[in-house]
Amino acid sequence: MASISFKHVVKTYDNGVTVIPDLNLDINDKEFVVLVGPSGCGKSTTLRMIAGLESISEGDLYIGDRLVNDVAPKNRDIAMVFQSYALYPHMTVYKNMSFALELKKTPKEEIDKKVHEAARILELEPYLDRKPKALSGGQRQRVALGRAMVRDPEVFLLDEPLSNLDAKLRTEMRSQIAALHKRLQTTFVYVTHDQTEAMTMGDRICVMKEGVIQQFDIPQKLYNKPDNMFVAGFIGSPQMNFLPALVEKAGEGFMLSVDSCRVPVSVAGLADYVGKEVILGIRPEDLHIEADMVEASGHALIEARIDLAEMMGSEIYLYYQFGGQKMISRIPSKYDVKEGDRVCLAPDLEKLHIFDKDTEKAIHQTLSV
Amino acid sequence: MRETKEKRGVAFTIFVHMVLIFLAFLCLFFFYILIINSTRDHYQIQKGFSFLPGTHFMENLHNVLNDANIPVVSGIKNSLLVSVGAAVLATYFSALTAYGLYAYDFKLKKPAFIFIMLILSMPTQVSALGFVRLVEKMNMMNTLWPLFLPSIAAPAVFYFMYSYIQASLPMELVEAARMDGCSEFGTFNRIVLPIMKPAIAVQAIFTFVQTWNTYFIPALIISDNSKKTLPILIASLRSADFLKFDMGKVYMLITVAIVPIIIVYLLLSRFIVAGVTLGGVKE
Repeated sequence: MASISFKHVVKTYDNGVTVIPDLNLDINDKEFVVLVGPSGCGKSTTLRMIAGLESISEGDLYIGDRLVNDVAPKNRDIAMVFQSYALYPHMTVYKNMSFALELKKTPKEEIDKKVHEAARILELEPYLDRKPKALSGGQRQRVALGRAMVRDPEVFLLDEPLSNLDAKLRTEMRSQIAALHKRLQTTFVYVTHDQTEAMTMGDRICVMKEGVIQQFDIPQKLYNKPDNMFVAGFIGSPQMNFLPALVEKAGEGFMLSVDSCRVPVSVAGLADYVGKEVILGIRPEDLHIEADMVEASGHALIEARIDLAEMMGSEIYLYYQFGGQKMISRIPSKYDVKEGDRVCLAPDLEKLHIFDKDTEKAIHQTLSV
Repeated sequence: MRETKEKRGVAFTIFVHMVLIFLAFLCLFFFYILIINSTRDHYQIQKGFSFLPGTHFMENLHNVLNDANIPVVSGIKNSLLVSVGAAVLATYFSALTAYGLYAYDFKLKKPAFIFIMLILSMPTQVSALGFVRLVEKMNMMNTLWPLFLPSIAAPAVFYFMYSYIQASLPMELVEAARMDGCSEFGTFNRIVLPIMKPAIAVQAIFTFVQTWNTYFIPALIISDNSKKTLPILIASLRSADFLKFDMGKVYMLITVAIVPIIIVYLLLSRFIVAGVTLGGVKE
């Protein structure tokens, strides 16, 4: 049993700066949880508190049923993969991997078996006698993983392990780490600032900002039902478009107006906002250029002159201004749109996001997962 | 045009080489005199300088080694013991101190650093009297211990180690070792020390040579002939009875004294040259 549980954990540094004001987080046994957020959001501090490399100022941290606030890192039964890999430069790959086991006084045959098995899984067998200096970035990364693997830890901590790799290798290692999680069946806590990594790898994703959890949920929910504008903007690339819109009553439902665009919505929560402004969020792929969608949308149309059209291969990114805001749309590349063209785009009315202008919290999403 | 440029280049190269040869001559000439004179006897030396070696090398060596008043063999042994001891202690404990100040956060970290730096500015002569009295109180007069034990506190070596460790030891390595289950002391001995090997090599050489050549403190502490180090022996030979004064022997003794240092330098010059830039550049 290696669930991890933060109960009202506070982290204040000696200089009086509080980076984690009040953290409550429950990570289940065998779960792959990704902590994601911009730099300085406290995700690495959170991970280091689990590792025991950072002390806890207040609150309790449990690994399994054990309170570990004052337990030394080596007694927590966790392994960590660092961003810089932190391989011992004077030891061979074999030694790097066997070091922890030797310290535990594990019998030699067992060490040998475990190291070779990990090396086989990670395809490191030909390199066991090499020093880290003689390895490529990807190989070093695998040694760091192997070093953690051989210890059979209850919890695996990974601190931005892929950020030093090139794009191709990163994709490759991403799937390797996901496969490793399935094979090992242990709890993984993974820190990254890259939302693609978060979305593709995590069972659940914890989005953080300034030490506060913004949303902790499965990837689909984060994408389709973000709790606030920060999550909506952080998850998804290119990021969601935000437009200030005026709420009007229209029969049974409501009407959101941005310039000439009038979007009908039927969200009960909007009753308190009549006559006020809210923020309308539309993902770039939910703005359609297809003729039938445009025709069917009535007044819910965004008309704009394209400032820039980026050809991405299978799709085109359109950059333009609307309602005083910079907007991005993603349309299939079969449509021939160029800079300076005037286009009409129809938002998918089923996939709109509405946020309170002041609190930035979601009023209600029209989409149901 | 091109030709004149080339000619000028050649002239400049010749000029540079001449300057360098002259400087090299200034540096090496004294060693040459030393070695030549160690092969000549007292009267030949008194007659004046000669570029050619004499024939008394073995005789001088024999005289030096067999002088009952000048125990050269035990002098070399003592010097070796003291120098090696000082090199080992200075490098190990300076590295340990540097690591402590680098890796741990504690309240008096800054004052501790400043205190060590202050010691650096204190000349040996100033504290010599106090040191001798302390040694006396500890009943260590006329022993070799006070000649190398104080190397445990070597501020200059510490500062070098501190600069090196800052540039070449990422804290993540220490953290990785802690998570692997290494004790704090074990982390230092098994992870940090091997990483600091180049810095240790350089400082070991410097400390060795410096201790080998030290005269002042050993002269104050050691009076027993059998415990004297080489620099004291050389000095005592120079101030020996005028009638028995033998310049050939003096030169021979000095030659014997610098041979180990030359060997150490030749063997480890690679480290010394590399060491000058150590800590400055990260690999």
